[in-house]
Amino acid sequence: MAELLVRRLFHALITLAGITLLVFLLIHAAPGDPISYFIGKSEHGLTPETIAAIRKAHHLDDPLTVQYLHWARAALSLDFGQSFIDRRPVIDRILERLPNTVLLMLTAMLAAIAVGLPAGVLSAARPRSAFDRIVELIALGMFSLPSFWVALLLLDLFAVKWQILPLYGISGDNYASLPPAAQFLDRIRHMILPVIVLTYGQFAVFTRFSRAALLEVRGQDFVTVARAKGASETRVLLGHTLRNALVPLITLVGLSIPFLLSGSVIVETIFSWNGMGRLFYDSVMARDYPTIMGLTVLTAMVTLCAYLATDVLYSLVDPRIRLVGERK
Amino acid sequence: MKSSGGGDLPGFTRRFRRRRGASAAVIYLFALVVVTLLRSMIANALPVVASSGTSISFPAFSGQTRPSYPWRFSIPAPIPFSPTDVHLGERLQPPGESHWLGTDELGRDVLARMIHGSAVSLAVGFISALLALFVGSAIGGLAGYYGGGVDWTISRVIEIVVCFPFLFIVLAVVSIFEPSLITIIGALGLSSWPMEARLVRGEMLRLRDMDFAESARASGATSSRVLVRHLLPNALAPVLALVAFGVGSAILAESALSFLGLGVALPTPSWGGLLASAEDYLGHAWWLALFPGLAIFATVVACNVVGDALREALDPKSA
Repeated sequence: MAELLVRRLFHALITLAGITLLVFLLIHAAPGDPISYFIGKSEHGLTPETIAAIRKAHHLDDPLTVQYLHWARAALSLDFGQSFIDRRPVIDRILERLPNTVLLMLTAMLAAIAVGLPAGVLSAARPRSAFDRIVELIALGMFSLPSFWVALLLLDLFAVKWQILPLYGISGDNYASLPPAAQFLDRIRHMILPVIVLTYGQFAVFTRFSRAALLEVRGQDFVTVARAKGASETRVLLGHTLRNALVPLITLVGLSIPFLLSGSVIVETIFSWNGMGRLFYDSVMARDYPTIMGLTVLTAMVTLCAYLATDVLYSLVDPRIRLVGERK
Repeated sequence: MKSSGGGDLPGFTRRFRRRRGASAAVIYLFALVVVTLLRSMIANALPVVASSGTSISFPAFSGQTRPSYPWRFSIPAPIPFSPTDVHLGERLQPPGESHWLGTDELGRDVLARMIHGSAVSLAVGFISALLALFVGSAIGGLAGYYGGGVDWTISRVIEIVVCFPFLFIVLAVVSIFEPSLITIIGALGLSSWPMEARLVRGEMLRLRDMDFAESARASGATSSRVLVRHLLPNALAPVLALVAFGVGSAILAESALSFLGLGVALPTPSWGGLLASAEDYLGHAWWLALFPGLAIFATVVACNVVGDALREALDPKSA
């Protein structure tokens, strides 16, 4: 077990170095002098001395390997430099947006599980039934729907035509003057459409996955034994099968994090949700390279942590994997 | 033996068609490609064939402008509108007899714009999926065949690439290089090869010790020849399903980029670009948002159905 953990951690460290290396190479593959990465397009007003000082501060005249080591050390301590927009540290700008994105992603993930898991379980209870086929069809459709299109249509109906949900933002204009209960309601109303748009693509993944996991467990000996001993079908399904089928679900939660992060760029942009995804979009539009690269490195680190956590959790829960790890 | 791609064509076709909608999806995609290739003949303000009395010309192909004198004889295109011609008198018309899918804010025909916009969507979808297939099977093939240090190194590289959330790395690349067709295809293809690589690697591990590989080696084939001529063709069949899914997700990704205003800048935008301009007319012109979205949706569904059917047909056990 310990050996497995150490190996996974070692691989994660290599991956971390690789993430910083990849983004570093990307910055240096850009056409033009890399100095524009640090000062933006406003190079003209600067004296040669200032430019030389900036080059020195960012080690731009050192060999590439030295430059990389400086960049990687800074990136690993979450120092991504200053934004071109307001000259504030990039990490501060990211961290103040982080809670909004986490709120959206967490709600979306819980919603996807709350709807997708029962749908998958019911499908697996009667494979090839009408219900199973309909769920499969809906899942396929949802998986193929462009999220920004769904967002547009939902906005068109709920916010413009019927005007029952807000068009954009995190809270209404009069938010501060509302009593606490109404404030809570206001936040919920603003979350409904973004959460739907972020969730429905995940619904397909969770449904298909839980159905497949359940069907696989259903065929195993211990389920037959339980049935032979006279357990009711419901008891077999919920007590014996589901408990074991839930284990692989851990992996799925980890795997869905990068997808939700990508989705947040689109959803937050359309709904003017003041989170990391919106910040990323704005930075791309403004060519604010330090923020773009900071967010790219940071979201990759978050994904890496999610993968690592699911790996470790999975091997803790499933003894078969632990044993395989020890045998090696 | 499992690898059934070439050996058992009737069985493959039968299993492929057993999947509901698979045949319809193939027909739809084929028709779409044909319409896209013939787009200047199908949607064009200029006639397909015209005659001035003395000679016959093909204005839709040659792009020849309308002469001051009337054509004696002409066959118009089925959709007699060009995607870029502005008609301010016909702004924001709902779908009707002359404009089947309505007009946009400058009086341009929506259907004509969609037919011409499909070129970018399909080109990006197919080329970037093929790029991912090429890169993924080359890298996965090397890892699976040589094993050891090569495999270890490639596995670490794959772990690094899959850590980047898709849109973040693609947008970062697009922001550094200008958003051209090549940048976008490259960014999409080079961020989605790990799936293909993992699958090919697994197939390679399975295939490399099989009898036919052994006998090829025993009869004196070099290891690179065994890899390229004997193993890769067998390993590629299961990857075909991934390519179909890949085309679908690349079309989705391209439309998202265009929607965000970071797509290819062309006079005729791709389907995602058409949706971006629809955002300003929410509540006023539903047809601007509905039809291009439906086109994306139908195409991606078709790709996913084909992918599903391919997977089941190539691996009967999973069905």
